[in-house]
Amino acid sequence: MSYNAVKITRGSSGWGGPLVIKPTETRNVVLSVTGGGIDPVSQKIADLTGGRVVDGFATSVPDDQIMVAVVDCGGTARCGVYPKKKIFTINLTPVGKSGPLAAFMNEDIYVSGVKELNIELVGDGEVLSSKASEAKAETPKDETYVALSKRTQTKKPNILESIGRGAGKVVGVFYSAGKETIDMIIRNVLPFMAFVSMLIGIILKSGIGNIIADWVAPFSSTIPGLLLISVVAAIPILSPLLGPGAVIAQVVGVLVGVEIGKGNIPPQYALPALFAINPQVGCDFIPVGLSLAEAEPETVEIGVPAILISRLVTGPISVVIAYLASFGLY
Amino acid sequence: MSFLSGLAEGFIGLFNEGGSVFMGLVTGIIPTLVVLITFVNAIIKLVGEEKVENLAKATTKYRLTRYTIFPILSVFFLTNPMCYSFGRFVKEELKPAFYDAAVSFVHPITGIFPHANAGELFVYLGIANGITTLGLPLGDLAMRYLLVGIVVILMRGIVTEAITKTMIKKRSEA
Repeated sequence: MSYNAVKITRGSSGWGGPLVIKPTETRNVVLSVTGGGIDPVSQKIADLTGGRVVDGFATSVPDDQIMVAVVDCGGTARCGVYPKKKIFTINLTPVGKSGPLAAFMNEDIYVSGVKELNIELVGDGEVLSSKASEAKAETPKDETYVALSKRTQTKKPNILESIGRGAGKVVGVFYSAGKETIDMIIRNVLPFMAFVSMLIGIILKSGIGNIIADWVAPFSSTIPGLLLISVVAAIPILSPLLGPGAVIAQVVGVLVGVEIGKGNIPPQYALPALFAINPQVGCDFIPVGLSLAEAEPETVEIGVPAILISRLVTGPISVVIAYLASFGLY
Repeated sequence: MSFLSGLAEGFIGLFNEGGSVFMGLVTGIIPTLVVLITFVNAIIKLVGEEKVENLAKATTKYRLTRYTIFPILSVFFLTNPMCYSFGRFVKEELKPAFYDAAVSFVHPITGIFPHANAGELFVYLGIANGITTLGLPLGDLAMRYLLVGIVVILMRGIVTEAITKTMIKKRSEA
């Protein structure tokens, strides 16, 4: 079986890369973790390199057999999981280093915004074996505290010293917790606030809000309407497409919020609405979530349909439970 | 000419409105959020993952705790998306049910503990914004969202476990 190497460069608005990869006897799987079957990019990589393409939604493959994972991640989860496992990752959506696992997403293992034209055959010379790209994974330790604890280990610590070291350690924990928080705010929270404010600004000022009011409000201000939304969003073909990064749930949440603020939807419907707009939560992430739980391929093959079907039942039930719990709210 | 200036006025007006909404979000939400997430991150670091793992393993025996306390611990301490890695503590046929329960909790928890899923706050915050514009308190909504969330993840865990087991049985017979 002759394998060839391919070079994958980032798309126009993409980030990271270029990656040069080549399958080996044991590690030759192109794992396509994108909603709706195997995407063209994975297919092309497999055809060019001679590797084997597998639909990550149908089944899962042990990590050491995966040559490259192709995802269409919105920026929260999937794009970080595979780099953390030190697997080459290609993201079809042009997302940079983002999400809670951004620390593991480095140019030598992750590339985004990739289209078919960004993939080309190359000679064997420049092949990067995946082990060589050791992701600089651990969050940068604070040198002063690490140096402090090493130096004092040598002689028997007296009381004062151990108190000092203990206090230093605790302060170090608080300090790194603060750094982690600010990093999370800048990387995840502020970008979404910018996007949401732009959306609300345009909706309120341009009058589109009234059109949405006539379209969204009648559904989300009555229980049958909310139940209808929850059933539609839970349809097994739709839910994996509505799931990524919970963007749809957040946009609809904002729209419903604007309508509640304008009085078109009674405030006590906020609780059932929270469940009606979200029966699809995580439906795009099932195979990856199960692989994080070290599930067998058979479990994934049964788990994906089982959860999608269960949501058709539990989506509407969650709206009913929330409606019952909303009495006396406001 | 007045038409053009009216157009420009309207155009800029869109983004002034967006700007004031952004200011409201930043001054209203970010300060409390930063202090709260720092506090919770510090607690998670001090407690340490190992102690949480032993406690979590103990709760996987019974269905009632496997789909309530277990996902709550994993989502609170490991946050999204690493919380699903606690699925390794349950048997194979229970993993889909655990994932369903845990992922269904990553939004209800953000009402009170936003650190667990800071990347997807606006499922709750979007709707909560409407409540604050009406001048109503948020605490009640956040607490009910969390409690109903716990009931829903228990229900989802049980339903998904049943469906998964019947599908496994059907597959083994086929």
